[in-house]
Amino acid sequence: MRLSLWLAFLFVIVSSLSLSATYFVARETQEDAIEESLVQVMAGYRATPSVAALAAVVRAETRETDPTRRLLSYRLPSGVIAGNAAIVQDAEGFSAVISGVSPGEVKGDYISLTRLINGGLMTVALTAQPLENLRKTYLLVFLFSLLPTCIAALSGGFFLARRDSKHLVTIESTLALLTSGELGARVDTGNSRQNDLSRIGAQVNRMADAQEKSMSALQQISADIAHDLKSPIQRVSVLLSDLSKTDDLPQEAVDLAERASDETQGIVRVFQSLLQIAQVEGGSPRAGFALVDLGELAATFVDIYQPAAEEQGRQLVLHIPDTPANISGDKTLLGQLLANLIENALRHTPVGTNITVCVAKDADKIHMSVADNGAGIPVDQHQNVLRRLYRLEASRTTPGSGLGLSLVAAIADLHEAELVLLSANPGLKVDLTLAAI
Amino acid sequence: MKILVVEDDKTTGPYIASGLREEGHTVDLVEDGKDGLIQATTADYDVLVIDRMLPGLDGLTLLKTLRGAKNKTPALMLTALSGVSDRIEGLDAGADDYLVKPFAFGELSARLSALTRRPNLMEQETVLQAGDLEMDLVRRTVTRGGTALDLLPREFVLLEHLLRRKGRVQTRTMLLETVWGISFDPQTNVVETHISRLRSKVDKPFQTDLIETVRGAGYRIAG
Repeated sequence: MRLSLWLAFLFVIVSSLSLSATYFVARETQEDAIEESLVQVMAGYRATPSVAALAAVVRAETRETDPTRRLLSYRLPSGVIAGNAAIVQDAEGFSAVISGVSPGEVKGDYISLTRLINGGLMTVALTAQPLENLRKTYLLVFLFSLLPTCIAALSGGFFLARRDSKHLVTIESTLALLTSGELGARVDTGNSRQNDLSRIGAQVNRMADAQEKSMSALQQISADIAHDLKSPIQRVSVLLSDLSKTDDLPQEAVDLAERASDETQGIVRVFQSLLQIAQVEGGSPRAGFALVDLGELAATFVDIYQPAAEEQGRQLVLHIPDTPANISGDKTLLGQLLANLIENALRHTPVGTNITVCVAKDADKIHMSVADNGAGIPVDQHQNVLRRLYRLEASRTTPGSGLGLSLVAAIADLHEAELVLLSANPGLKVDLTLAAI
Repeated sequence: MKILVVEDDKTTGPYIASGLREEGHTVDLVEDGKDGLIQATTADYDVLVIDRMLPGLDGLTLLKTLRGAKNKTPALMLTALSGVSDRIEGLDAGADDYLVKPFAFGELSARLSALTRRPNLMEQETVLQAGDLEMDLVRRTVTRGGTALDLLPREFVLLEHLLRRKGRVQTRTMLLETVWGISFDPQTNVVETHISRLRSKVDKPFQTDLIETVRGAGYRIAG
């Protein structure tokens, strides 16, 4: 749009320059022609033999001359004026006054020539009306040639700009859908003619095709792995349960079977977490998001974990606002996130630790945090603990897979939440900031 | 009960079938999705157990086809996939419950009986009973052998839940789903501690225990 305005402006400048140039040339020529004819007429008068003869000619011509077209004035040496106009001199200079049949002021512009002939002063003036006409004609030409051009340029530019912005909007919204996990989204290229933007749109579509293909391949692979690995694990636990039911089995063997069974549960757990992280990171559809009250969710989890925490010698403290703290999200995943944070705090802190689960609201954000006053994590390790399977040296001996916080990070990411690990002086505070609705 | 199991895994299928038969159910086991569909439409079952990944016809399509044909037999879907979207897909296809592999037999058995029991008559009652225990739902009081028990609100709800499903096993995940309304995978014995607190008030001071632990499955109040 801006470009078309510039083009229209440039066009107007150039055309008016060239038009005014031709106008001035034409006007010059016209003026020359008028002056030329004045000289010729004057030459005719000059040919008269005497004052009386010239006066007679002037009088005769005056009768056939329209004073608005031509003024004739011959001041005889005697002071008598012949012709249809008198040249009068007053304070402001010379001016012509029409005399004769309809006396009055002379209106309009004239071009005049005065010569001394036979002792008298002969003045001939021709109307400059042709010059005025020329000006009007040029003005009309100017208007008729420029206006349509400007209108065409502006409306064309407007149309193109609108078409392009429509294109841009579709490309933008498609990209937004794609990043939100709607992998089937495509730019509608329709049957519009090829331009830069439609090529970009087609390119976006090709990229989305490739992404969707690799996504579905990935999902297929994880489904296959899940199926092919879990079925044998299921079989192992079936076999172990059969084994422990065998008659006359020594207690030692029963215990071993039980331990083996627990270990398979451990395998399943790590495996399940890895699969879940992969699924959440793969942009598991946000379409399933619903309204979740984080205050209520936090209260539920504190309620679930309170007895277990007390049993382990730790206090769970809940701080939530009086009014709902609503966000848009996946309740099950957010619950898993809270469970992981609370379990981490239970597992990696000394007995007697206070664990505070806090939900707070400000203008358009909801903050949810789980903080403890335990030993905390060294600040330089804050990033590392979010990595998969990473475990601090100090926690090697405590149970856990090292996947809890990476799942938390993946779930936070899915909810476009800001996840920060802070030092609670002492202790660790995991702080999550989400957009309120 | 008459149960149809559609499961292609050569170990898991017979395991489920023999376990259910041991509990006294009549079980038909088929390994192929198409056979499963034919079997489910031709015979009358109380409950269906369908694996999600099957040869011939996958479990989701099988169930969708059945539901499309107005077959309302309760169905539990078995799956190796545990993602939230997989769960939603399964429930959308018409599954009444969803169990992720590997599972303990007790979990399967408890969930199947939860699916098939007709709504308990106690649903409308204002007083729930088990042995010498009485729960007054209107006055929110619990007594055992005439002695008033002082329960916290959450303990009351948990006990009410077990009483309403008297005689049926409630697994830990089932309790989390119904009492707290949330399904997640705790790595801490959260349900166990709630139950043990409840027991310390309901069972410990008395001669007999009402709340039983069912090994490898969950909890139950006999009835």
